[in-house]
Amino acid sequence: MLDVLAYALAGVVLGVVTGLIPGLHVNNLTPILVTLAAGASSGMVALIVAMSITNVFINYIPSTFLGAPDEGTELSVLPAHRLLLAGRGYQAIRLSAIGCLSGLMISAALILPFMAVITPAYDLIRSHMHWLLTIIAAVMILLERSWRGIIWATSVFLMSGLLGLLTLSANFIPADTALMPLLSGLFGISVLLPSIVSCGSPPEQHLDDEPIDLRSSIKPVCAGTAAGTFTGIVPSIGPSQGTVMAQLVTRSSSTEEFLVAVSSVNVSKALFSFISIFAIGRARSGAAIAVEKILDVSSVEPLLIIGVALFARGIAAILHLQIGKLAAKNMDRFSYRTLCILVLIFMLALTFYYSGLVGILVLTTASALGMLPAATNIKRTHSMGVIMLPCILYFAEAKDGVLEALGL
Amino acid sequence: MNDKTTTKLSLVCSLVGLVAIYAVAAAARPKITPIASLNDSFLGLRVSISGQVMDYREHEEGHLFLKLQDSSGRVVNVPLFSLVRAQIDESIELLDVVEVTGEVAIYQGEFEVIPGGAKDVKVVHTAPVALTTITKENAGTAVKVQGTITAREIVGGGNIILTLQENGGKLPVFIPSWIVEDGLPEMHVGDTLRVDGWVQLYKGELELKLTSASHLHVVEDA
Repeated sequence: MLDVLAYALAGVVLGVVTGLIPGLHVNNLTPILVTLAAGASSGMVALIVAMSITNVFINYIPSTFLGAPDEGTELSVLPAHRLLLAGRGYQAIRLSAIGCLSGLMISAALILPFMAVITPAYDLIRSHMHWLLTIIAAVMILLERSWRGIIWATSVFLMSGLLGLLTLSANFIPADTALMPLLSGLFGISVLLPSIVSCGSPPEQHLDDEPIDLRSSIKPVCAGTAAGTFTGIVPSIGPSQGTVMAQLVTRSSSTEEFLVAVSSVNVSKALFSFISIFAIGRARSGAAIAVEKILDVSSVEPLLIIGVALFARGIAAILHLQIGKLAAKNMDRFSYRTLCILVLIFMLALTFYYSGLVGILVLTTASALGMLPAATNIKRTHSMGVIMLPCILYFAEAKDGVLEALGL
Repeated sequence: MNDKTTTKLSLVCSLVGLVAIYAVAAAARPKITPIASLNDSFLGLRVSISGQVMDYREHEEGHLFLKLQDSSGRVVNVPLFSLVRAQIDESIELLDVVEVTGEVAIYQGEFEVIPGGAKDVKVVHTAPVALTTITKENAGTAVKVQGTITAREIVGGGNIILTLQENGGKLPVFIPSWIVEDGLPEMHVGDTLRVDGWVQLYKGELELKLTSASHLHVVEDA
């Protein structure tokens, strides 16, 4: 038992490292961990689960403090950046901690009833998955409300989808490394570039503990956890889409509630992606695929995964708040622009290392495409077409036909 | 830079990038890869290979495991899992030429190419060789023959020997008892049979040794 705890602690440390370094993902480390798993299978499962859960918490630190655009562009900025521009970056960290902590607690409590109903429910929706994904994509697009927004959203969805289809299905990058340049470009560099170009830096950050109305967090946490459960089972739906769906149900629109909801979605998605291995026999994340590979040769109970997730949750929340406070306190000590440039160089180097020059081509295209939502004032989540469109075609059994029609 | 300029710039870069990626994807379209060239750098990539079926094994759950050999001389495993196999209309026999497009993986230390669907598998059947052309030089090689059963006898320990005849040629087919026990298709003297097997010498005489019941195909009942 002690060795499992030691592995879980090591997972927390790795989760902090992968969470703090933009561009570095849990998936970059899992292949190595699977290779090392021989002889310590339950320990390695604990390590991967703890790393994934911690990563969800810590990821909010760079995504809050890096890449914020200039003041006056609030309409197109991400919710956490909106708080950062108001000097409330640490408040964004606290809200995400509340979302993650409560989301994971509710998810863990939901697992048993979930296991009982999900297998028949999944069998039912499996054959209609392409319709379900199409409806979700259509709803997201229609939520733009204006004709101009709908046209741009459709274009971004289709262009991202084509980019995903070409990169994930053609033969020039191995499938397991193709996602990195795509997602780093669409959701990473495209956020960093405007702040590098604008030369602006966020205002001084307030570190006082603003009171958080816990009662108003109940609704986004519950809706976020439900959406996280759904996105943990259904492939290709991202946390932002889950959160927008949760917002639709709860009719909430405040930045604070969005942050609580999206972090609940993220953390419950992370947990349920592991549980879906036992419930429907399918892993729904890179880390879960690694755990599935280890489970192929050994038996580990879902209870271990829940226990480790809850254990990691406690430590990750403390580290998240401490590191977040430290980052907010020391932001003005560094040149914000230099910091963003360094992160950009790191992402380029990592992409080049994993996928070579062609990876840089994918990264550049994805970055250009990722800048369109902010420039046209539509939601960034339409870029998830990069995974959704290939998934829709796959489930509709039309992917090969489309590739053939494209001459590929 | 205002939003209009950013929009135009992003749109142009995205479209140029997509065209460039399409060109790269078209250039990387799988061509036939020699089996001998498969190495660790291919893992996770899709390749197309083409080779002759040198052996195959049926799994009780409906999977079919092929061993393909091409002119490079090396053999690669091709697992046709039951779902894929069920979609393939044609039967696959020993020495047939099969072109497979699939993902390269390693299983138990050996390379395998895993097709994702029936359209990734193309089978070109090879014709059976004439019985008269089989000589002692063929000993140790796999052949596909076709002929009429002219005799059937049970020899020591439950083995069966069928005698096939075709256009003046004659060849005994040795079916080991363990294959007989697993069950054979119903066949009688006078039936036309196609058999894939290995040529061997027994007491100086040529015979064809069967390695699996699935290598027997009754073409025409008497």
